[in-house]
Amino acid sequence: MAGKWQLKDHEAEQRLFNRRLVTAAALIVLLFGSLVAKLFNLQVTQHEYLSARSDGNRLHSQYVPPARGLIFDRKGELLADNQPIFNLTVVREQVDDMDATLDYLSSLIRLTEDDIEQFNSRMQRNRVPFSSVPLRYVLSNEEKSRIAVNSHLLPGIAIESQFVRQYPLGSLTAHAIGYVSEINRQELDSLSDEDRENYGGTNHIGKTGIERTYEDILHGTVGYEIVEKNNRGQVMRYLDRTDPVAGKNITLHMHAELQRAAEDALGEMRGAVVAIEPSTGGILAMVSKPGFDPNLFVTGISSKDYSVLVTDEINTPLFDRTTNPYPPGSTIKPFLGLGGLHHEFIDYEFTINDPGYFRLPGVSYRWGDWTLRTQIGGGHEHTDLQKAIFQSCNTFFFDLGNRMGIDTIHGFMSRFGFGDNFAADISYARTGVLPSREWKMESRGEPWYPGDTINSSIGQGYMWATPLQLATAASIIANKGNVIEPRMLKAVEGQPYAPVFENKVPDVTLNDLDYWRYIEEAMTMVVHRPYSDQFRDYGTAYPEIAQKDPEMSYKLAGKSGTAQAVGISQDILSSDDIMVSDLNRDHALFIAFAPAMNAHIAPQIALAVFVENGESGGGAAGPIAKQLTDKYLLDILQIDFEALEDVVPPLEPETSALVSEADE
Amino acid sequence: MNSQDFIRQSTGFYIPKSRAQTIWRIIHTDPPLLVGIIVLCAFGLFVLYSASDGDQIMVQRQALIMLAGLVLMFIVSQFSPHFFRRWAPSLYGVGLALLILVLFIGVEDNGARSWLDLPGLPSFQPSETLKIVVPLLMAWYLASRPLPPRFKHLFWSAIMILIPAALIVVQNDTGTAIMVAMSGVFVVLLAGIRWRIVFTGIFALLLASPSWYLFLAQDHQKNRILTFFDPYRDPTGAGYNIIQSQIAIGSGGVYGKGYGNGAQSHLDFIPESNTDFILAVLAEEFGLLGVLFLISLYLFVLVRGFYITYAAKDMFSRLLAGSITLTFFFYVFINMAMVSGLVPVIGLPLPLVSRGGTAILTLFIGFGLLMSIHTHGRVRPN
Repeated sequence: MAGKWQLKDHEAEQRLFNRRLVTAAALIVLLFGSLVAKLFNLQVTQHEYLSARSDGNRLHSQYVPPARGLIFDRKGELLADNQPIFNLTVVREQVDDMDATLDYLSSLIRLTEDDIEQFNSRMQRNRVPFSSVPLRYVLSNEEKSRIAVNSHLLPGIAIESQFVRQYPLGSLTAHAIGYVSEINRQELDSLSDEDRENYGGTNHIGKTGIERTYEDILHGTVGYEIVEKNNRGQVMRYLDRTDPVAGKNITLHMHAELQRAAEDALGEMRGAVVAIEPSTGGILAMVSKPGFDPNLFVTGISSKDYSVLVTDEINTPLFDRTTNPYPPGSTIKPFLGLGGLHHEFIDYEFTINDPGYFRLPGVSYRWGDWTLRTQIGGGHEHTDLQKAIFQSCNTFFFDLGNRMGIDTIHGFMSRFGFGDNFAADISYARTGVLPSREWKMESRGEPWYPGDTINSSIGQGYMWATPLQLATAASIIANKGNVIEPRMLKAVEGQPYAPVFENKVPDVTLNDLDYWRYIEEAMTMVVHRPYSDQFRDYGTAYPEIAQKDPEMSYKLAGKSGTAQAVGISQDILSSDDIMVSDLNRDHALFIAFAPAMNAHIAPQIALAVFVENGESGGGAAGPIAKQLTDKYLLDILQIDFEALEDVVPPLEPETSALVSEADE
Repeated sequence: MNSQDFIRQSTGFYIPKSRAQTIWRIIHTDPPLLVGIIVLCAFGLFVLYSASDGDQIMVQRQALIMLAGLVLMFIVSQFSPHFFRRWAPSLYGVGLALLILVLFIGVEDNGARSWLDLPGLPSFQPSETLKIVVPLLMAWYLASRPLPPRFKHLFWSAIMILIPAALIVVQNDTGTAIMVAMSGVFVVLLAGIRWRIVFTGIFALLLASPSWYLFLAQDHQKNRILTFFDPYRDPTGAGYNIIQSQIAIGSGGVYGKGYGNGAQSHLDFIPESNTDFILAVLAEEFGLLGVLFLISLYLFVLVRGFYITYAAKDMFSRLLAGSITLTFFFYVFINMAMVSGLVPVIGLPLPLVSRGGTAILTLFIGFGLLMSIHTHGRVRPN
């Protein structure tokens, strides 16, 4: 109708307009209707699902790591403590631009490339989404406040406090207690599913020593808490909590004071001391020098610090000298002598006429008694077993070993723990080598030669033992054959720790119990037999020990050893079981127990002292042993030996007569 | 201008007036519309208080802007529609000039370079004023032409709508450009453009949309469209807003979590919770009932707007009032539909509830025009 007309038809236009208005109103109703339908769908139909999603947004279950159990020495001195530190953590999902954030952070606080590298490797570990990952440990107060002030610019970055291990004694316990450090990928993978859950909130795991051995006891059980977090990952409220169960506190047999004394006694020398309480097998001291500061490892050792530790090829501070084998040298002689008596190759009356060397029948090579040959060019002349021990006569043991044969030697010596790890809870200790025909064939692919037996008879050649093994063997003699596995752990939460150690190691039984007394006497002579008119009739350790302390109130049984660090075949050097020092001087060894030959009190301490490149067992290692037995018996236990004789009835009256005889 | 038009209407709709009505008429205010607006503002402030996490300063500022809006509305309503009709072309010219000025000295905020910071004036968005100026011009242009409009009138209408719209698109503010264009298009629709042309136009747009998508659309626009169809293709990026907003709305249920208890909003999961996505806060805390209450408030204002449109005495006033009312509805609907996931995300605030400045003032100018239309015609003596 509008057609060609230019005139306006107001009525028609208004009707048209009103129709459009009605259409618009209808459309509005329709559109609002669809909107309400959509809202109904969201708020009624999907309500439950979306409620759950909303809760999932804000509610987070997070792990609450348990406090790690503390470690005490037998007197209650703290060996491993937990200290709070403040860490900078990152929730990756909430950081928009990681590089920019890291740049900004490094303008606020000290952030090395090392930190970032370690952070990246932590990130690559299997981790829960939206969990926080440490970027830097141990923030200073100033750094904390700088982060806090700028927190609005740092979404996803937070400061979290954490308790971490602290070793108050530092390097003193570095090897024996070990240390905890960050869990790595392999360790995480090796955990069972259940354990992995238990380690959900834990950043650290025991890496070495006690920390590793008793990880299960020390770790505890993880707790959980339900928290409400905002979009930036900040915790707004704590809603529910299952408390973690703290790890158990443990007490070791270790005596920190003795440990300290052992470290002091070694001084600047490289070496090891292992001291055992024979009656319990408890390890009183276990020192490897030089040590390192285990605290460095807890929060991630810097690569600079680490390279200092690993590149020191002479001092090798990370190398535990107490549990790694060395040639034991003459320290094995008392054991071989006992074997000779037990298997009746010799008796108390048996003597040899020592020319200063030994020669196998039909072989022109002479095994020299090298200490004497170089010094005086002669032999020991008439020598019985006791003299062979206190004078450390090689020729006697060449002959004895040759006659016993390697099979008998192996069979007997293995009962003292050579070639084996008797320790109940030091699984990482090496076993050394107690050679046998089978061992040589297996590892060398060669048959056993009689000459091999000769070398083994004086603790050289293929024979390798750790200071821990030597101390253990000494404690077996001190116990007269009663084998008690050496152990670190004394009590858990104050309760004596007595797991059922399968008595895997039978006691050493001899045909005649008197052999024990005889050997103890011989070992006592090593320390106490003074010079006499007779040629070469004093104990090898007498000049350095008993002569220097004429007032000694107790008897010390010992045996020195001086082991060649050179002249060892390449075969041995390449053996897996053996680590060889790169220096050439002989190693000094000394095994001992005390008090010996005492009718009133059984031996309280057995020990092995090893001084790397110390040259002389009697000279370098012996005095250390004496210092430590003095410390333990007189200072720590405060035994008054003179009073004992009046108060305590004799243990075994029939043995006392022999002491005075040997003592003259 | 057409005086017969006016005479016929004034006699046809004569209603006896009480003294109170007379007073309202003298001050050119429509009480029902005023009440609706004030209740909406009050409810909006109430929701904003929670959405802003109890930010009193923000709420006070919003209240002041609303107060300024009421004053502006009152001033606008004092002028008769004929005044605006007379000045429509000039206002349009000024509006275009400001838009061109923005192209050169505009200030960027939030991605759109649409702000003008003139000395002596508070900074404002000229594009906002076009939402009023364009329908004014269209109503001016079409009211004096025979309706339904002829093709050449439609052509010029299109030009007049597209020039400001294009200038605003250049400012990178597509949302406002669409609103400005729509406010003009509503005039054309109400003017009785033939449905055939409308549907042809819609059909043509649909046909053209794929090539727009392929050749012209910017990445973020493509993203918004893809996200609309599947928010979970990028749940922490482009889809995050709509996913979180739907979670907030849905978790509110029928009765809501209670005022101030919206976990999604108070824990900052809802982005732009003070502005574009404020409906999600409302829906989470007050549930479906709360949203229905808000919709009914809007409906009240809309019904009044329709009544004013219907009762208007001349075609210019009708077209203008109708366009203002429909633009208001369009605002409300698009925002709610976008927040609930019914349409793709377009950055538009929820009228009188979202925090805003110029946009709120523009709304009040529109209300002022409605009141002017309603209170001037009838009292005008023969």
